[in-house]
Amino acid sequence: MAFTLYSLIQTAILCTNAIAVLHEERFLSKIGWGADQGIGGFGDEPGIKAQLLNLIRSVRTVMRVPLIIVNSVCIVLLLLFG
Amino acid sequence: MDYSTQSEFRHRKLQPKVRMRGTPMDSSEPSLLFDDTSTGGQPSGHGRQDKAPLGYAGQTLLSDPMSNLAMAYGSSLASQGKEMVDKNLDRFIPISKLKYYFAVDTVYVGKKLGLLVFPYMHENWEVSYQQDTPVAPRFDINAPDLYIPAMGFITYILVAGLALGTQNRFSPEILGMQASSALVWLIIEVLATLLSLYLVTVNTDLTTIDLVAFAGYKYVGMIIGVLAGLLFGKMGYYLTLLWCCASIFVFMIRTLRLKILSEAAAEGVLVRGAKNQLRMYLTMAIAAAQPVFMYWLTFHLVR
Repeated sequence: MAFTLYSLIQTAILCTNAIAVLHEERFLSKIGWGADQGIGGFGDEPGIKAQLLNLIRSVRTVMRVPLIIVNSVCIVLLLLFG
Repeated sequence: MDYSTQSEFRHRKLQPKVRMRGTPMDSSEPSLLFDDTSTGGQPSGHGRQDKAPLGYAGQTLLSDPMSNLAMAYGSSLASQGKEMVDKNLDRFIPISKLKYYFAVDTVYVGKKLGLLVFPYMHENWEVSYQQDTPVAPRFDINAPDLYIPAMGFITYILVAGLALGTQNRFSPEILGMQASSALVWLIIEVLATLLSLYLVTVNTDLTTIDLVAFAGYKYVGMIIGVLAGLLFGKMGYYLTLLWCCASIFVFMIRTLRLKILSEAAAEGVLVRGAKNQLRMYLTMAIAAAQPVFMYWLTFHLVR
């Protein structure tokens, strides 16, 4: 149960990677979580599902390039230092 | 060359002398009384004798151009570095906002600690505002602060070390592990709360630092529980922890209710509707997570 800050960083990288690899057409649309299926009613309340889909889409857009960099750094470091 | 040796002797002599000069200058003492212990070894003894009368006046440090230049350069470097650090730090951590959370005084801390342990008699939980900005914690007991969470965190680490020490399980690395473990759980809790607040689209003025403050209030209960466990054994630990868990639960619900729920619902009127129900569940979930963490972070300390 001993968590270190390093394991927190690892968890964060893994989770962000997991969200970023959810493919839009091949997967999300098939289960009804596509980007166009989130914007249901145009009322004042987006609702939880719409917020989630928004979150997934924004993580994919925003974190794409930083994740490439961070993953490359991780790969190099793990290869060098095990 | 003569000049350089002169300055180097003066440096070696003057450093300890400046430190020792807390007392007023009784320069009637012979030079041997000061010089003997600081420099030592024969080569300096030679130059010491004839430099001693000059060495007393502190101005020789400043009139020496080499050290003068070094001092000026060092101070300019230090001020440059300080400017750069301040400028960059302000971009990441809003220092002025943090200062608000540390504007506490003893009366506030005492009352807040009492409120954390016994929140059942307090009636008015609203944070008072002053022209749109919340009042500093010194003037309003309901305002969140960061002093108690910070002190509580550090005290929790120390108490954990104490508890492990009484069971002969202590080693200095354990302190670091406890600290990083508790910090990681705090970060996870704050991130989970932020995520759930985002998903439920709550229009609230709770900032991240507020959430850190609220998450940090449980350390007080944890410390009291562990101390009771050290003094009175497992029974004392369980009873005290139960009491503190219940009071933190009530405290969190009453504080967060005003911030997360809408106006009408916060006043106790039963407002129907899925939105308010969801918000109520969110408040209860946040409040219920506190006792869970309190138990999780302390049960391995009391055997």
